[in-house]
Amino acid sequence: MIIDVTVNGVPRHLKSRSGDRLVDMLRKELKLLSLSPDCLQGRCGKCLVFMDGRIVHSCLVPAFKARATTILTFEAIAKNPEVKDIEKAFQITQTQPCPFCRSAKIMAIFDLLSRIPLPGEEDILEALDMVSCPCSDPLGLIQAVKLAAELRNKRKFSREA
Amino acid sequence: MLFASTIRSPFHRGRNAKVGIDALPKGYSAILAEDLPRHSLFPSFKDGIPIFASEQISYRGEALGLILGPDPGSCDELAAAARVECEEEEPEQEWESFSSSQIAYHYSAEYGDLEKMFVASSTELKEVYRNGIFDHHYSEPMGALSFWDKETLSVHCATQWPDDLRRRLSGALSLSEADIVVHPTEMGRTLDGRLWYPTIVAAQAAAASKISGKPVRILYTREEDFLHTTKQARSAVSIRSGSDDQGRLLALDIVILINIGAYNPLAPELVYQAASAITGIYSCPAIRIEAYAIRSNTIPLGAMGSVGATHAFFAIEAHMNNLAQRYSKHPAEIKALNILKKGQSTFGAPGLSADIPLDRIHRELQLVSDYPRKYASYELVKKRDPGCREGIVRGIALTLGYQTGRSFSEQSTMNSYSVEATLDRELKLLIKTQAAIGSEALKTMWRKTAAEILSIQEEHIRFLLPENTHSLPSGPMTLSRGSTVIQHLIEKTCRSIQKKRFRESLPLSAKARTRAPKASSSPEGLYPGAQLLDSASWCGTAVEVEIDALTGRPIPLAVWMVIDAGRIISMQTALASLRASTLSALALCTANDFDPASAGIDDYLADFNLRMRDLPDIHIRFIDPDRNGAAKGIGELPFVTIPAAFYSALTQALGLDPRQLPLKGGEILRLLEGS
Ligand code: FES
Ligand code: FES
Repeated sequence: MIIDVTVNGVPRHLKSRSGDRLVDMLRKELKLLSLSPDCLQGRCGKCLVFMDGRIVHSCLVPAFKARATTILTFEAIAKNPEVKDIEKAFQITQTQPCPFCRSAKIMAIFDLLSRIPLPGEEDILEALDMVSCPCSDPLGLIQAVKLAAELRNKRKFSREA
Repeated sequence: MLFASTIRSPFHRGRNAKVGIDALPKGYSAILAEDLPRHSLFPSFKDGIPIFASEQISYRGEALGLILGPDPGSCDELAAAARVECEEEEPEQEWESFSSSQIAYHYSAEYGDLEKMFVASSTELKEVYRNGIFDHHYSEPMGALSFWDKETLSVHCATQWPDDLRRRLSGALSLSEADIVVHPTEMGRTLDGRLWYPTIVAAQAAAASKISGKPVRILYTREEDFLHTTKQARSAVSIRSGSDDQGRLLALDIVILINIGAYNPLAPELVYQAASAITGIYSCPAIRIEAYAIRSNTIPLGAMGSVGATHAFFAIEAHMNNLAQRYSKHPAEIKALNILKKGQSTFGAPGLSADIPLDRIHRELQLVSDYPRKYASYELVKKRDPGCREGIVRGIALTLGYQTGRSFSEQSTMNSYSVEATLDRELKLLIKTQAAIGSEALKTMWRKTAAEILSIQEEHIRFLLPENTHSLPSGPMTLSRGSTVIQHLIEKTCRSIQKKRFRESLPLSAKARTRAPKASSSPEGLYPGAQLLDSASWCGTAVEVEIDALTGRPIPLAVWMVIDAGRIISMQTALASLRASTLSALALCTANDFDPASAGIDDYLADFNLRMRDLPDIHIRFIDPDRNGAAKGIGELPFVTIPAAFYSALTQALGLDPRQLPLKGGEILRLLEGS
């Protein structure tokens, strides 16, 4: 079947087979390399996309449900100054997610900070649970999110958070 | 480019496999064992490890061939449609009682008069401790891309040991090593899941591209990877101990069984490291060890997070706890009585000349974790409320362990690493080492070291890509074993450049390499453990656990680690690395036992990761981190100590010893209800 969907600002007619997940369709048809689906269970977050502005695990969305929606992947937000803040925070806190989940972790933090510019510990934990992995330093990640918020707020409102 | 899908055996065991394939569509072809030279990839392992199985099928899912073609989906369908026949044989799944044909490697050693010491003992205790199968949960999919570039074969593959991969391909495909370039691709935390298995997949892709003349890509799906590639080995360790009236060990009779599944070329290393670890913490005047790597008709099984040692530490620590129970003593008290100290001998080796800081670690750990008070109060709660009606089910335990910087394998290449460094006129340093496949965190640490020695800027230090360093031999990059050696070699080369710097003009180069210790060619000649201790980092870990009385789910509340790892170069990097490894190790303790016979992976994946809000407090303390001297690896420490501590804490919480890891909520609940 053909799915009409807008991906990263470009209207597309994408082929999908019955049973395909949104992540399969985006990878196969558009070769979007920021998506590296792993668990296919909504746990690892390596398939996070924005669907009509809401962050979703695209491995849990049937491809046909994407019909007439607007999808944004990491490729679309990568140049955003917010993303630069997050990358800088990773660098300063020496939090180095592996290359396979880096974009997913950035997506989750990007989403959190755009909803809650000054997130509390609980908000941060909830956001990071979307990209759960057993191999990154949890404290480092939390510090990185706090710092990213600080950098973002400083830049946006040119004052300390 | 051609895509390749794997034709797999539906049989657990059989001989003379025949693969039937209907006429393939245009552009598609099949490659089977008969199309390849009959060389084994790992000839030193028993009867070898084939690129594709044919004469002997060793496990269900073993690769028998490939379907090549332009569309990956169609390749999958054609591979699944292949018909496989063979002379089926009864699979050997039993491994705790095994036949001699199942022994892949056997190591035995004896020291002291065991029988006399057992006779002199006032208490004898015999238990068996079992460890399950775990997946490595690495992020990158298993796969390989191979193509010919004029006369050179290029192989892209996520491997921890590019040097060995190149050597194996050369032997199996009758190519000169000079004609093979291995490009290691990006890796996350592999936890030793990529030590040797990628060699098989890379060899398949290389053979296919040699035959087809085209680039060939093999990329496993997550499910394929889960079901058919290597995992942590199962183990069963039986310990019979004899001790005096105080609880001092007098005799240890140990049998270590490691189920390596269908095959594992590193079987000797697994066995030897396990035998060393089990005798490396406590002193005992008489010891007998029989250690076996046992084959069974299941997926290949092997190292995870530490090569062999986790099984051993888990068993010996659990045994010390049981011993404490027997003496109605505090486990810490019994351990303190037996801890190995400087000057003592392990396994008959000459008295240890290196400082063994276990005693100090043990004392500090008790202090920082408030262990004696907590242990006593949880015991009290259990006595007061045996059925846990008050709903407080908690336990705390501490364990000791170490990580070595050495390997014992007869394959001396495991121990040889080299580094070449060149400082140019602009004060830019180029470091050549195959270990540059290590993580960014490691490279940051190495940069820091070199920058300090040479007084240059960290940004001016570059690592040459591993594919350009084939002239420099290298052992594997395990969690931090290889990195410890590389750290040392980088220091050495930089110091040597620094020495020459004011006498000679730039550019200046220096090379350093390690060689396998001579004795490693015959492990039987070594005293287990003693050789390892000079390069060891030492660790004590305490874990506090609570059991959810409704679901039986064990929740780690806090982890304390006291570590002596020599000089710590970057505290921030060290702490981050340890916290991440702690999480991984805890995730293993709370994960399901992986069942290779099951067709699905959903259950296994279901609660693998700890949720962020369930994360325990992690407290880490280093002993004298600013001292002069060598920096040592730390990455394996959580893997060797946490399973044992977690398990022992669970034992205290439950009030009985389940003698196995992992334990799931349901099983814990049943044990609680029955207690
Ligand atoms: S692949 Fe979607 S959450 Fe893991
Ligand atoms: S999956 Fe990337 S750091 Fe864990």
